[in-house]
Formats: sequence, C-alpha cells, structure tokens
Amino acid sequence: MSLYVYLYGVIPTPEDGDNPFSSHKGIDNEHELQMKNYGDISAVFCHVEEEEYGEEVLQEKTNQMDWVQEKAFHHHEILMNIRERTALIPMKFCTIYQSEANLDDMVHNHQDQMKALIERLDGKEEWNLKVYCDRDQLSKNVADHNLNIKEKKDEIAQMSKGRQYLESRKLDQYVQQEVEREQDAFGSALHEQLTAYSVEDTVKKNWNRDVTGKDEEMCWNSAYLVPLERVEDFLEIITNENEKHKSSGWILEATGPWPAYHFAKLT
Amino acid sequence: MTIEHPTQSSSIVDVLETVLDKGVVIAGDIRVGLADVELLTIKIRLIVASVDKAKEIGMDWWETDPYLNSKAAEQNTKQLEDENKELQKRIEQLEKNANAGQSNRFV
Repeated sequence: MSLYVYLYGVIPTPEDGDNPFSSHKGIDNEHELQMKNYGDISAVFCHVEEEEYGEEVLQEKTNQMDWVQEKAFHHHEILMNIRERTALIPMKFCTIYQSEANLDDMVHNHQDQMKALIERLDGKEEWNLKVYCDRDQLSKNVADHNLNIKEKKDEIAQMSKGRQYLESRKLDQYVQQEVEREQDAFGSALHEQLTAYSVEDTVKKNWNRDVTGKDEEMCWNSAYLVPLERVEDFLEIITNENEKHKSSGWILEATGPWPAYHFAKLT
Repeated sequence: MTIEHPTQSSSIVDVLETVLDKGVVIAGDIRVGLADVELLTIKIRLIVASVDKAKEIGMDWWETDPYLNSKAAEQNTKQLEDENKELQKRIEQLEKNANAGQSNRFV
C-alpha cells in the first residue's frame, strides 16, 4: 500500500530551513508533519496510508460525524499553529495527493500565484463577525417606534371583528418585514464602518438556529482581512457598538485571528 | 462582546463553517464529497451538545427522555389547536359576510 500526502497549507520558506512542525503528529495521529521546500515557498503536509485515506474509505468516513469533527478540528488546530508563526495559505479540509510527485506538480503549477498570495496575506489577520439579535425584542422595538405601525394599530382597533383579524395579520407581516429591514440595515452600517479598517471583506450566509444552537437569531455574518496595525481599532469599533446596542437586543461577536480561510484564493 | 480564540469549543460552529467550507480549493487527487456543511454542522453540534449535557448529568437522557418528547408533542398540539380555532373564527366570519351579501352568490 502506498503513502498518500495530506496537504495542510503553503508557507514562505523559513529562513533557517528547519521544519518547525516536526513535533506535531499528522491527521492520522501517526505520521509526523513535514515541510517540503520549493524555493521561496514550502508545503506543510503529512503522509497518510492509502487504505485509510483513499477515495472510497474517505467517502465512508466523511459520513461519520465524530470522525469529521475530530479531523476538522485537527486540520484547524494545525493551521492555527502555523498561522501563529508565519503567513499561510490554508488548504481546504482533506486536500490529498496520491504521491509527493503529484504534490510537486501542483506546487510548481501554482508557484508564482502562491508566492504572490502569501505576500498579500502577510502582516494581516482574518477576523470574523457575527451579529445576533433577540427577534422578539426587536419586533417590539419596531412596533413601538414605527409611526406607520402605531397609526395602523389605532385604525384596526376601530374596525369590525372580521376585518380586525385580517388587518392584524397584514400588520404583523409588515412588522416582520420592517424587522428584517432593520436587521439588514444594522449589519450593513456596522459592516461599512469595519471595511474602513480592512483590506478585504466578505459577507456570508446567516445560519439559522438549528445550526448555531443559539436562542438569538443570526442576522449578519462576515469576514475581514485586517492589517495587523489596524486590528486594535477594528476590534474597538465592535466593542463600542456592542456596548451601545446591547440593551436593544443586539449581540456582536468577533472571533479571530483565523487562518485566512476566506481570503486565500487561487484560480 | 466576546473575542474568542477560534479553537475554543464554544465556537464549534465557526470552526466547522470555515474549515469544512473555506480554505484554498486546489483539486487534490482524491475527491472528497463532504455532505452539505449546514447539515454536517447541525449534526455535529447536536452530538457535541448531547455529549456535554450527558457528561454534566451523567446519563444519556437525550435519546430516551419521554418528558422531553411529550413536551414537544404537547407544544405542537397546542399550536395546532390555536390555529384551528383561528381558522374556525375566520370561516364563521366569512359565512356571515357571505350571507349578508346573498345577491352575489354563485352557488
């Protein structure tokens, strides 16, 4: 059985040429992390057994949740570790080659691009922002402060029972629309402030409660690539805004620094 | 406001969302068909949540607890009942209106 190659990421070649990661075990908990030098850039990888990481086996394993969880976290831990020392192009989970020769080919084909990407990522950190809100509280705030809604409520109170029912339903729908608009406006405004400090950004999908496991609703989800010298200011905005809007039911959550998962792109 | 180190277990969703979904995609030699990230995250989060909880109270109540199951069912029934009542009311009202406007009936 042959040895496959599990690739974690690509880094600038360390000046002393030593492999700083040799003390780490790889994804199979057996083979050590290795570094292979390609001139200016180096690949960080580990060997894995074909019978454990071949296509068919992996197909099965990726359906086992505990396996995915353990290995995804391992992948992430290693990348976090590398990121602390050096600029890094993080690979997607389970990027595997059938031989070192195949890895060599891939790196050679992308060498210039990778070098340029590493230079672009160097000296910057990825930070993620998630905004949550207490939807009930926000609905109440909107209903209390929106003059259209207040007026409409008074109108409805004067109507016949049957019409009251229908009109109330319509009004409820309108309130929910306004709430969604408010959520979007809040996120966009915050996002605009933050992009002044970042060199790149991306707005992501909001996850529903089944995914987040939170009581509050996610209403903004974004990632930023922030130059090191601006990280403090960037985070200060989030802290301040969070303080300011906490009482109205908004929760701002910043996490980082991450490996530049969202901003490392090769074509 | 929380600034978390992303490896903390509390940010399991963040980690999965990014690790399974992002990062440089250069076709490796092995094709890995990961299931939908959203679904994976839900499943894994549920496992982790139940394991944590089970550890906390020292038993595997989450699969077999009849109270939790019946409570969920109860809530469901109540919701249906409420909806039913509301619909009844609407029908009555519509019928009244229809009777009032007999000349417009096509039946």
